[in-house]
Amino acid sequence: MSEKSTPFFIGFLPVPDGLRGFLMVACAGLVIAFTALAYMIGTTQADPGPAQFRFDLGAQTLTGTMTALPYPVLHVTNGTETVAAGRSILLSANGKNGVQSRIEDGAVVTASGPLLQRGTLDMMQVRGGRRGIKAEPDVTAIEVVSESLGRWQMAGEICDGKCLTGAMRPGRGIAHRACANLCISGGVPPVFVSAQPVEGEEFFLVGDSDGNPIGPDLTEFTALYIQVEGEVRKLGDMHMFLMDVDTIKVLP
Amino acid sequence: MTASFVLTLGEYWLWIGALVAVVFLTIGIDRIDEDARGAYIFRVLLVPGVLAIWPLVLMRWFTLETGRDAWRGRHTTERHIHAGCWWVLAIALPLIVLGGLALKQNWPDDFTPVRIGDAQ
Repeated sequence: MSEKSTPFFIGFLPVPDGLRGFLMVACAGLVIAFTALAYMIGTTQADPGPAQFRFDLGAQTLTGTMTALPYPVLHVTNGTETVAAGRSILLSANGKNGVQSRIEDGAVVTASGPLLQRGTLDMMQVRGGRRGIKAEPDVTAIEVVSESLGRWQMAGEICDGKCLTGAMRPGRGIAHRACANLCISGGVPPVFVSAQPVEGEEFFLVGDSDGNPIGPDLTEFTALYIQVEGEVRKLGDMHMFLMDVDTIKVLP
Repeated sequence: MTASFVLTLGEYWLWIGALVAVVFLTIGIDRIDEDARGAYIFRVLLVPGVLAIWPLVLMRWFTLETGRDAWRGRHTTERHIHAGCWWVLAIALPLIVLGGLALKQNWPDDFTPVRIGDAQ
């Protein structure tokens, strides 16, 4: 086609005859292609699951005994209708931060803030300052029982407990990996989601094999579907999975 | 290791960019752009851009400084490779999406947890 006869499209003028057919095919093709692409991507994404901030319940105020390792857990002795006495609940601060610097192991505290819930897993995002965590020196601490449930081989995913319980939707999966590792490195408790329940539980607070917070050797596997061995323990009402990093296999 | 390598690379990139920004915004810009002479405050606004694309800044500075700039033909190369880029993207983008979907891990919902040891 010579330079002179090349049709030239100008938005505010009628479409040149030579371009009309091409543009109609291109427009129809784009609509069909993007519809198919949207359907394909949409149907291959995992369900974000029933996780959410429970602002509808209002701020919860819970009193209980803290355990610090591997991550802060409040073992509730004076609870609410939603989180009754006897429950153990994960704690995080605002944003991608934990509460490690604000609690002591074995101390009795009153914690206040909104809840995040996913199934049987609860987390509280405590408010800032003494409104969020207040020491209760006059209340006697309970003894928090730590019981081993044996060594297990499981398959599943390491997530950060805050996004998993509803701070992000979806709060898991490979697309969420960087966010999860930022949360975990900030002190938010990591949670292992097992593909099938163990002792009736599918969510496990994660620690290393010594019961300490996890390091880069484990966060390397965050958000990947893995097979891993370790000890399952029950700390109060909270199930924990203390992983042996050497046993981790990334699944296909 | 890869992440730290990328960060180190980025750090060097920005340090070189800072050096280029200092030299270009104090000396170079006056030599190649007569409209910039006597105007200083706006140069601060150019610093982030120079940090990011300092090789391009150096290349344009060299081209203009040595009188090699042929402004009528500045975009000839890009126009000539435009169709090629179109084809590459048209093929590569679907392949990347399909490859990502094919390599995506499957949730191991058929994996039954196994008890491998007693309570301690």
